[in-house]
Amino acid sequence: MLIVSVKDVVKEYKLGKTKVNALRGVNLEIKDRELVAICGPSGSGKTTLLNIIGCLDQPTSGTVQIINENAAFFSDAKLSELRNKHLGFIFQTFNLIPVLTAYENVEYPLWILGKPGLERKAMVLKMLDEVELLDYKNHKPDELSGGQRQRVAIARALVNMPKLVLADEPTANLDSQTGMSILKLMQKINEEFSTTFIFSTHDPQVVKYANKVYHLRDGKVSELTEG
Amino acid sequence: MIGLIVFGGFVEYSFWGLRESTIRSQLGHLQVYKKGYCKKGIANSSEYLIKNYQELEEIFYKIPCLELVTARLSFSGLISTGEKTLVCKGDGVIPEKEAKLASFETIIEGEGLFKEDQAELVIGRELQKSLGAKIGDYLTILTTTPEGMINAADVKLIGVCQSGSKEYDSVYVKLPLKIVQQLFSTTSVEKIVILSDKTEHTPEIARRLTILFKEKNLNLEFKTWDQLAEFYHSVVRLYNGIFKVVKVIIALIVLFSIANTMTMSVFERIREIGTLRAIGTKKIQILTLFLWEGFLTGVIGAILGMITGIFIATIINLGGGIYIPPPPAMTIGYNALILIVPEVLWYSFISTVIVATISAFYPAFKATRLNIVESLAHT
Repeated sequence: MLIVSVKDVVKEYKLGKTKVNALRGVNLEIKDRELVAICGPSGSGKTTLLNIIGCLDQPTSGTVQIINENAAFFSDAKLSELRNKHLGFIFQTFNLIPVLTAYENVEYPLWILGKPGLERKAMVLKMLDEVELLDYKNHKPDELSGGQRQRVAIARALVNMPKLVLADEPTANLDSQTGMSILKLMQKINEEFSTTFIFSTHDPQVVKYANKVYHLRDGKVSELTEG
Repeated sequence: MIGLIVFGGFVEYSFWGLRESTIRSQLGHLQVYKKGYCKKGIANSSEYLIKNYQELEEIFYKIPCLELVTARLSFSGLISTGEKTLVCKGDGVIPEKEAKLASFETIIEGEGLFKEDQAELVIGRELQKSLGAKIGDYLTILTTTPEGMINAADVKLIGVCQSGSKEYDSVYVKLPLKIVQQLFSTTSVEKIVILSDKTEHTPEIARRLTILFKEKNLNLEFKTWDQLAEFYHSVVRLYNGIFKVVKVIIALIVLFSIANTMTMSVFERIREIGTLRAIGTKKIQILTLFLWEGFLTGVIGAILGMITGIFIATIINLGGGIYIPPPPAMTIGYNALILIVPEVLWYSFISTVIVATISAFYPAFKATRLNIVESLAHT
């Protein structure tokens, strides 16, 4: 099943009086359960493409279908709902809420969804156990290591059982060993929960974990490699 | 919050002081007259005298919450030392009851009236200065009787009083009721003055008087101190107007300072807001989050402000209050205390919470307008 379909997507930004073409007609398709890497050098448009797929941004032209929905016509509230229910996000800088504990950070998307208390508790504990951080559930982010924080972020991204998880350079701020453990975790979750992962990276070591790689250069897909 | 409590308490004390001094030096809580006096009697009081005062006093004392019933007979005329003659205006009072009624009046020289049939008087401070009279001097009171005859009485000056009002003290004289009745060749009184045990019981006494007048078919009418105290009401209106301006200024200060603090808070949490939006938080939920934050800031600030305000008010009161110099047309200043009044506390609490919540609205609105991608990239 096609989870993501991107057709002729163009994204232009205005920086003062200058027009910047971040994406110049990108086409890609991502199927259910795939582990897809979007790689390219800095400025190639990886993050922009990821933001558009994740409904955080709108393309200037072209179409984007996420889980068979054309999100271009959605209201802001509907896009928020779509992100909450069907998408998960993992950021390079973890982006955990500093005043919340690990448990509360993971619980937050469920609270937005309106899940009842007991159900939330069960799902959060299960996900924290999955990322091997059950013993750290009451720790705040500043009491966790980089790798632990990213695990909490992964748990938060997955707690709603989304169909698609978008990870923007998830290992960039981690040492190589920790980064590898994170990638292995993502691979394990991809296999166990059938979650589709799209992550952006410029690290060739990370690309090895993907079964499909889109190479982006100057806002266009220059190559597609299938593993 | 602290400002509202302290200033509000100061204003309440000023109102209380002025109200009680008006009641307990001049008006009493209620005044009972012969029916028609209020419309026509002021210009022609001799036609509206109450003849059966003692009888009525017995009836009135049956009303609960009543502390005192006394009578007065007002007059105006001339007062003379022999060398100087000035206009005077005064009351014939029952001396032993007057001490209770006029508890806010200050005798600054000599003593107050205490014998009901002695030809003695107490005059206002400014009048004493103008006459150049001393305690022990004999003064002549000259007035017109209801029949239009002139009558006079020689009375001994035994005391000088000060109410604080220059105009009042420059004409005021007080004599025993019997002496004034002799001057007027009457045994009647002009008004019966009633003092309640507490000012708050005035409406209840008024209600009972209305019933009593109807039941016993008494040809009487009454007015409460509230209806008589024009100066008090004009001062209250003035102070309330000033207090409103102060409240608005304080509200604006609170509004802008909290809005500024919350705007900084939004700025510091741009990336957090971007993250919350990315993982599915709607704009309305972000707005609600910040409004709740403003509300809770208001509640916590109001509680702390209330505790601190009460503490500061207590310290001021223990220190004897704040000295206020004599207002215009007054001759004496006073030490203002800070009254801790539940209404002021509640008003201050609620307005602080409301203003804090309103001041959070603009930063909350700004937070919802943030672009998610830009917010996530914010450092």
